Amino acid sequence: GRQWQELPPGKRKKGERGSGFTSEQIEHLHRRFRQLSRDQLTIRKENFDSIPDLEFNPIRAKIVHAFFDKRNLRQESSGLADEINFEDFLTIMSYFRPIEMNMDEEQLDRFRKEKLKFLFHMYDSDHDGKITLQEYRNVVEELLSGNPHLEKESARSIADGAMMEAASICGPDQVYEGITFEDFLKMWQGIDIETKMHVRFLNMETIAHCY
Amino acid sequence: QIEKGVKMQKALALENLISNGIIQREETSMEKEMAGHHREYFHLGDVMYFAKKACEAVAEDEVTRRFSSEELLSWNLLSRTNANFHCVSWQVTVVWIIGILIRYCLLMPFRICLAFFSILLLVSATTVVGQFPNGSDDFPCRCRENRPRKGGICVANHTSPVDVLILASDGCYSLVGQVHGGLLGLIQKSCMQTTQHVLFERSEMKDRHLVRKREHIEDKTKLPILIFPEGTCVNNTSVMMFKKGSFEVGGTIHPVAIKYDPRFGDAFWNSTKYSMMTYTFNVMTSWAIVCNVWYLPPMVKEEEEDAVHFANRVKAVIAARGGMSILPWDGGLKRKKIKESFKEEQQKKYCQIVTENGSVGNGNVY
Repeated sequence: GRQWQELPPGKRKKGERGSGFTSEQIEHLHRRFRQLSRDQLTIRKENFDSIPDLEFNPIRAKIVHAFFDKRNLRQESSGLADEINFEDFLTIMSYFRPIEMNMDEEQLDRFRKEKLKFLFHMYDSDHDGKITLQEYRNVVEELLSGNPHLEKESARSIADGAMMEAASICGPDQVYEGITFEDFLKMWQGIDIETKMHVRFLNMETIAHCY
Repeated sequence: QIEKGVKMQKALALENLISNGIIQREETSMEKEMAGHHREYFHLGDVMYFAKKACEAVAEDEVTRRFSSEELLSWNLLSRTNANFHCVSWQVTVVWIIGILIRYCLLMPFRICLAFFSILLLVSATTVVGQFPNGSDDFPCRCRENRPRKGGICVANHTSPVDVLILASDGCYSLVGQVHGGLLGLIQKSCMQTTQHVLFERSEMKDRHLVRKREHIEDKTKLPILIFPEGTCVNNTSVMMFKKGSFEVGGTIHPVAIKYDPRFGDAFWNSTKYSMMTYTFNVMTSWAIVCNVWYLPPMVKEEEEDAVHFANRVKAVIAARGGMSILPWDGGLKRKKIKESFKEEQQKKYCQIVTENGSVGNGNVY
């Protein structure tokens, strides 16, 4: 049966080193990957349509986009990939790993930067390295209801308000030219994202008991 | 004594893990998460909450999990339920091989012969009986407390066609179900010869169906109807949304909870993955299908109650008795996509949080 097609041990180790997941978690994610890809080796955007829980998430489009964003996949070129394989899948999921007790200062800092970079890429939809007012507005509009007249204006003023706040932190020029990643980092100083932007993957071991 | 206690605790913890899946979902609501930020304007980080939820959904979603077989705490020696085969010791492997011999060479041929002759008997007997004109439908049914009476509607959670066999062996029902082809279709056609059943096509349900049901239960001499309001097979760990149709017609509802013991075999029919024949083969080569059936006290819709509320009430009773969790999702998601209105609900909610705390208007900037 299908269960016999295990992840080859070499691949599992590689994934482990790169993403920081344990081998059990990788096994489970691999099964999930196979479920989503319908046993193909790669996933395309359409495969995300089969997740009911994801449907009612307002930023669904941005999240799916993030999975195929080459910047998140740590590839040299920019733009969107057409399809991703399991290693890419693990790479994206690793952005949501929680912090571990044994991390030192440098690791924590790198960890935080990576998560913020992921968020930054979600806002910066044209991949030019800057978040403009328009891109900002797009995110706010997606998060708010699709009601035509009322919400568009609220979205606009809310986005403008937030940009003003950003300007007070980074300097008024940014409002016009767009927020770079360095400015973005400044805005997050003192805000704890490590405990908010993570998914707690459980450690599971299936052992055969004999009662 | 202490060892036993520790072992129990470990087993319980493991069971909790497995029943909750691979992710520990934190039960924070949208409101709580947002409250952490400055609430005078939209915050860049609001998107974090949704990103996290999205990642959780991608890693695992509550709905799709219910349409694949339940993961077991301890292996029941059926190769199809063991995904992490490498963890097993040689002693267990030997026992497993003996198990294969017993199941495939002893149990299965016996069961196949039995099935073959039973089907033959069914088809021939129903053909013969069907020739006679409609007599009285008074089959001798033992009267046990809470068993569905004539003119009532019996509802149960659905895991496989075996549910029907089990209930039918303990009472006589009129069935409502999806028309199938193949072997199952043949059995359905034979049963139609002798009793009144309602068979429909899933894609064209609704009104006509309701009318037929109402006619049926109003006729008090007719057998009780057996309905599975989930509308599809679910993997027996939870009860999904009960479609309100059966709860609108009135009459007495007799809830029945059916729970299979997964240690002996997996009764769940994943109709998108296995055909009836494959499923039957799997069932025949399992150890056994062990099932608990609870007949619950009859329930009636109250005056001011609407059908949806009543359906949920019945569902809660069944889930509680059978030890299953409750999901509000529609079993139909197995086959089709989610409604746009759900997405809008989330967006509206978020919008409320943001606008009631911030000042929205021209010229007001914080």
